[in-house]
Order: sequence, then C-alpha cells, then structure tokens
Amino acid sequence: MSYRPNEADWMAYLYGELEGVERERMEKLLSESTEARMELENFRMLQKMLQTVEDKEVIAPPIVVDGSKERSLWSYPYAKTILSIAASIVLLMVVGRFTNTSISTDDTGLHISFGEPKQRASNAAEPLLTQAEVQQMINASLSQNNTVWESSLAENRQQIDASIRKSLASANPSRERLDALVQQVATASREQIQGYVVNLQNENMKMMQNYMQLTSTEQKDYMEDLLVDFSKYLQQQRNDDLRLLQTKITDVEQNNNLFKAETEQILTSLISNGTSNYQRAGVRN
Amino acid sequence: MHSDSLILRARQGDKNAQGKLVQLWYKRIYNFAYKFFQDHDLAMEVSQKTFISMCRNLEGLQDTARFKSWLYKIAVNYCREELRKRKASKAVPFEFVVNPEAENSPRWEGSSLRHENPERQFQQRELSDILQQALLMLSEEQREVVIMKEYEGLKFREIAEALNISENTVKSRMYYGLDGLKKILEQKNITKETIHYEL
Repeated sequence: MSYRPNEADWMAYLYGELEGVERERMEKLLSESTEARMELENFRMLQKMLQTVEDKEVIAPPIVVDGSKERSLWSYPYAKTILSIAASIVLLMVVGRFTNTSISTDDTGLHISFGEPKQRASNAAEPLLTQAEVQQMINASLSQNNTVWESSLAENRQQIDASIRKSLASANPSRERLDALVQQVATASREQIQGYVVNLQNENMKMMQNYMQLTSTEQKDYMEDLLVDFSKYLQQQRNDDLRLLQTKITDVEQNNNLFKAETEQILTSLISNGTSNYQRAGVRN
Repeated sequence: MHSDSLILRARQGDKNAQGKLVQLWYKRIYNFAYKFFQDHDLAMEVSQKTFISMCRNLEGLQDTARFKSWLYKIAVNYCREELRKRKASKAVPFEFVVNPEAENSPRWEGSSLRHENPERQFQQRELSDILQQALLMLSEEQREVVIMKEYEGLKFREIAEALNISENTVKSRMYYGLDGLKKILEQKNITKETIHYEL
C-alpha cells in the first residue's frame, strides 16, 4: 500500500495511457483500496457526463487561400524596406550624375556643387587688394561722406532760418487788428452799453413770452383731446354694460318662461294623473 | 482520419488534397473552438483562420505524423488570440443573451435527440448545458486540455506537442480540470447519485 499515484498517473490510467510496471501497480492499488476505486469511479462518472455534450454539426465553408504558392520577394516586409532604400540611393546617384553634383570637404567646410567645377584655388590664395589700397579706399569714402554731410547740414540750417523769418512776418498783421479792437472797446460810452443791455433784455422777454404762449396752447389742446377720448371711453363702457345687462335680463326672462312652461307641464300631468286615478277608484267602487 | 499521402499531396500544394483535409478536419476544429468559447461565430472564425493558416504553412510541416497536434496548435493559438480580443472588448455575444438551444430553434429540429423520450431529452440537454457552462468556468489552460482530451481524443503526447508543454503538465492540468468540473457540478447539485438515472 506504499504506492500513491500522482495526478499524472491517475490521468494516464483513466485514459488508458499508463503502461508497464506503473499500470500493474495502479491495478494492484485499485484492487486493494476502496478509496482508490471510488476516486476512479468518480472520474469515470464525470467522463460519462462529459460525453453527453454532443458535437455540433457544421458544414465546412470553402477556404480560399491565395493561389500563388511562391511568395514574391516584394511580399516580405523587410525586402520592401531594403529595396526602397536601394531605389532611393540609385535615384540620388542618377540625379547626381545628370546634374554633375559634387560633394567635397576642405578646411572651410562641406561643399555641394552642381555643374562643372571651376578653378579657384590659385585665385583664392592671392589677395586682390593690398592693405594700403584698402585703407585709401576707406579714407576716400569717409571724406566723401563728410563732404556730403556738411553740405546737407548747411542747407538745412538755411531752410530753418528762412522758415523762422517767414513766420515772424506773418504774425505782425493779427497783432495790429487786435490792438484796433481794444482801442474801439475803450472808446465806447456808458449809455451805448446800457442801451445794448436793455435791448438784449427785451429780446429775451419776448422770446420767453412766445415760448410760454405756445406751450400753454399745446397743453390745452392735449387736455381737450384727452377729455374727449375719456368721455368716448366712458360712453363705450356704458353701452357695453347696458348690452350686457339687457342680455342677462333676456336670459332671465327666457329661463323664467321655460320654468313656467315646465311647471305647467308638470301640473297638467299631475292633474291628468289625479283625474284618471279618481276615475279608476270610482269604477272600482 | 487521413492518410499521410493526403497530407504529403496537400503539402506539395495540391488544392484538392488541401480541400479534402479541410473537409475532414473542419468539424473537429469547429467543435473544439465551440466548446472553448460556447459561441458559434467565434468558433467559425477560429476554424476558418486555422484552415487558412494550415493551407499556407503546410509546406513547413516536417513530420506528417505530427499533423494532428500541429493543426490543434494553430487552433489553440487562434482561440487564445480571440480570447485576448474578447477580454479587451468585454463584449457579450448574442448567444449568451438568447438561448440558441431553445426548443423551437431549427438546431433542435435537426438534432438526434428529437426522436427520443422528451423527458430524457430535456434532462440530457439540461445536463449538457450545465456541463458546457462548467467548462467555461475552468481556467483557459485547463479548458484547452480537457476539451482536447475528452472531446477531441488527442493523446497526452499530442496535447503536449500542441501546447508546447510537458506531458506531465498536461496530465496535471487534466487532473485539476476534471477535479474543478466535479466541484462545479457538486455546487450545482449534480452528483453521481442525482444523475445516475439519466446516464
């Protein structure tokens, strides 16, 4: 009873894949141990239950696979990348060939040029101008600049002077006019000023009177219109009320007539019923 | 189920041989995927992908004797891929909402149970449904092994080859898979005693 099967042994035995000595040991254990037999029976029961799950019926659809068995080089992704890079390089080389592109480096840096290369190495080595010549050119340029600047300065100064003189000349007549006015005011008498003030007051009074008269007339008209409108409104309201009252009275009259007719009908029916009952009672008697 | 010569011819690019292999194995792969997902559409998708891959890569199969495990390996890989996609999308298939095995469904009309005792049919159908749901409750690894062994009848060696694991690991997963199923069924009060009259 020292043999204890592990999970793998159990499964191998359950599915008939345990062979040789291990199988014999398992069978011996099963013949001796009730627990082991129970466990095996449980597994077999579970197997039976699992077999109740049936297969589903299915129809295989047509499987369409790409017919070309040999894959072209182009279909590999890395081949695409490599070929693209190669094509770009070839294109650059062809363009470079046609445009005579040359790329070179020297002490001054990287140079990319198109077309025929020009001889410039010998010229570049010799300076075109000497130091004295350059200095002379600078001096000449400076002196020329100075001359131009001085002349323009003198011209500007002359223009400013002329402008000042002109403005001074134009200011003189207005001053004379102002002096004349002041003199005229000083010579005016007291009576003349009083007369002017009185005239001014009279004009203002007339203007105020006119204004008051005009506004009072307008106010009067407005009030009259307002009163007329109000009286019309009252009249209208009165007429409406009268019409309403008349309608109500008519309604009451109609109701009254109706009530009267109904009462008459009821009374007539009561009287006729009473008469017939009396007659029946009389016949019985 | 097939001869080596058929696989050899298919490997050489014979379209007829490839078509015959598809016809021979389609039902098995479909049912494997169906039991794995309990979903017809996913099972169809996995089956089609598996056979397209089979036709494309058959020439790379060195040993024709390993065709079966090789084919299931492809199927398992596609099942895992679909499962990853499903976990990512968290979608609920329509079949989970509406029971396709309802009595008025056309599938029931054509099923072999139709001509049996109705009560027994009902009990077996119920048991089958419970078992399929129980299978879904197992872990992915245990489910693969249980379906391959119990329903597809692969040897432990073939399952090990298909899953690229050792035979002992396969047996161990099978043991715990069955044990798990037993516990799930016990929870649903389905034991040897309650079910005995049905089997």
